[in-house]
Amino acid sequence: MEDISLKHMGLRSVLTHFSYTVVFCTIIALFLTLIDSDKAFLECFIISQFIGLCACACSMLGFHVIRPQNNIIMLIVIIVALFIGTSIGAPLGFLAAGIDLPVLFGGKFFLSVLTISILFGSVITYFFLSRGVISSKEALIQEERVKRLNIEKKAVETNLRLLQAQIEPHFLFNTLSNILSLLNTDLEKGKSMLVDLMQYLRTTLSKTRGDTTTVGEEMEIIKAYLNIYKIRMGDRLRYRIDIPDSLRDFPFQPMLIQPLVENAVRHGLEPEVEGGEILIRGAVYEDTFRLEIMDTGAGLYENSNPGMGIDNTRERLKSLYGDKGRLILEENQPSGLKAIIEVPYEPDKGDHR
Amino acid sequence: MSQIKAIIADDEEQLRLYLKARLNVLWPDLVICGEAANGQNALDLIDEYQPDVAFLDIRMPGFSGIKVAEKIAGKCRVVFISAYDQYALQAFENGALDYILKPVTDERLEKTIKRLQKQIAAAPTPPSELAKILENVLATLETRKGPVYLNWIKAQHGDGVRLIPVNTVRYFKAEDKYTIVMTGDSESLIRKSIKELADTLDPQQFWQIHRGTIVNVNQIAKVYRSFSGGLMIRLKDLHEAPSVSRSYSHLFKQM
Repeated sequence: MEDISLKHMGLRSVLTHFSYTVVFCTIIALFLTLIDSDKAFLECFIISQFIGLCACACSMLGFHVIRPQNNIIMLIVIIVALFIGTSIGAPLGFLAAGIDLPVLFGGKFFLSVLTISILFGSVITYFFLSRGVISSKEALIQEERVKRLNIEKKAVETNLRLLQAQIEPHFLFNTLSNILSLLNTDLEKGKSMLVDLMQYLRTTLSKTRGDTTTVGEEMEIIKAYLNIYKIRMGDRLRYRIDIPDSLRDFPFQPMLIQPLVENAVRHGLEPEVEGGEILIRGAVYEDTFRLEIMDTGAGLYENSNPGMGIDNTRERLKSLYGDKGRLILEENQPSGLKAIIEVPYEPDKGDHR
Repeated sequence: MSQIKAIIADDEEQLRLYLKARLNVLWPDLVICGEAANGQNALDLIDEYQPDVAFLDIRMPGFSGIKVAEKIAGKCRVVFISAYDQYALQAFENGALDYILKPVTDERLEKTIKRLQKQIAAAPTPPSELAKILENVLATLETRKGPVYLNWIKAQHGDGVRLIPVNTVRYFKAEDKYTIVMTGDSESLIRKSIKELADTLDPQQFWQIHRGTIVNVNQIAKVYRSFSGGLMIRLKDLHEAPSVSRSYSHLFKQM
C-alpha cells in the first residue's frame, strides 16, 4: 500500500523514461532508414517505438520487482527485459505498421531486430542509469552551495549569541560581588581581579567581530578568565597552560577555544565539591595544530545536556577549515572531559585563511 | 530572648566573608556560628548548631541551596542568595521565603534583617508551610526538564572513549549485536544493539526506516526514488544512502 505522493513520484519518472525512449527510438528509426534505402521511415518509426516502449516498460518492471543489488544481476535483468520487450514489441509493431508477421519470423530477420534492439536498448538503459548518477551529483553540488550559505548565516548568528553568552549575568554579578568584597579585605587582589575582568570583557566584546587573532592572544583572555575563577573558587581550581612559545604567533580564529574552557570550568569543575584541574596543551603534529583542553571534573553522562558552545565550535571549525578542522570530545583519564581542536598548520603562509 | 544564630553557605569564600562582614555591621546581635562551602557542609552545620536562619547560595557544588532547604524544611528560616536565577525568583515570589540578589547591597540586606527580626519575634519557630512551598518550587524546576533521551554516544576510538553528540549522528546501522554510528566524518562501533538504542533515542529526531537502520531526520539531505523504485535516503556529507524498507515508507508521505 503506497501513498499518493509515492505513486506521483513513480508516475513522473515512468513518464520521463517513456518520453526519452520515444526520442531515442525516433533517432534509431531515422538511422535505420538512412543506412538502408529499402526501408520506409514510417514503418521503421512505428516498429521501433513499439519495441522501445515495450522494452522500456519491461526493464522498469524488472527493476521494480527484482530490485537488483549488484551489477551482474542488473545486467541480466536488462538483457532479459530487452529480449522480452522486443519479442512482444516487434510483432505488435509489425501488425501496427501493416506488415505480415511471417516477414518478421521468416529467415534471420527477427534475430537482426533483436540484435539491434538489445544493442540500442543497452545504450539507452546506460543513459538512464548514468543520468540518475549525474542528477544525484548535481544535487550534491546544490546542497554544498546551500550549506555554505547556511554556514555564513550561522557564523553571524553565532557571533551574536556568543556575545550574549559571554556576558552571562551569573558570571558578571558573581565576579562583581567578589570585587566588592575584596575592596574591604584585599585591595590589591580586588584591583587585579578588576583588571582581569576588564581585559576579559574588552577582548571578548571586540573579538566576536570575526577578525583573526593569535594563539598567544587567545591564551591571554583565557588566563584572565581563569584568574577570575581562581579567586572565586580558590583551591578548587588549578590550571596550567602548556603551549610552546613558537606557536604563540600562529594565527587563530577568536572564540573557538574560549567556549570550551568555559565549559570545562562551569560544567566540569564548578559542580564538583573538590573542584579539579584544567590543563590546556597545544602542539603541532606534522601539518596539524592540535589544542587540547582537559579537565578532571564531572565529565559527561549519556544524557547530559548537549552544550550549545560545543555545537557552535564544531560548526565554526567546519565553516572555517572544512574537513580539515574538527572538534573531538573524549573522556579524560582518570575523570572529566577532554576537548580536542584540530586545524591545519601552515606556518609559511602566515595567514591560514 | 536567647541569642539568634545563623549560618552562611556559599561556595565562594569572598562572598561568605563579605556577607559575614556586612551582617556584623548591620545586625551586631546575630551570631554567625558556621560557614559552609557546599550543600553537604551546610546540612551538617544546620544539624550541629540548629540555627534560626540559614543564608544559602543557590548554585553550590554537590547539591544546591534549594535542595538544602528542602532537606531541612521546617528546622530554620531560609534566605536564598543568588547572582541571577530568574526561575527561582519566579518560584519564590509567592512563597514566605526571602531572597537577595548578588551583589548584596546594605539597603537590601537591612530589609531582610528587619523582616527576619519581626518574624522571629512573632514566632520563634519557623512556619511549617515551608516544606510545601519548597515542594512547589522543586516541582516548577522539575517540569522544565521533560523526558530524558540520549544526548551523547560513548564510543571506543583507539585507546580513548570518544563522546559523540547524538545530534551530529547521521544514522545508526545494525551490525550483528552491535551498532555502527555514522557521523559526517567518522564511523564508530558501539556495543549496543539497534533495538536497545532505539528505546533511548528521541523519536521526534530519530526514525527507524528499516529493521537495521535508524536515521537522524535533521540530517537528511534528500529522499529520492532509485531507478529500481525503492525509497532511498541521502544524509548530509555521506555518499552511502540507506534504503527505506516498504513497511516504513509511509513515514515519508507528503503532507
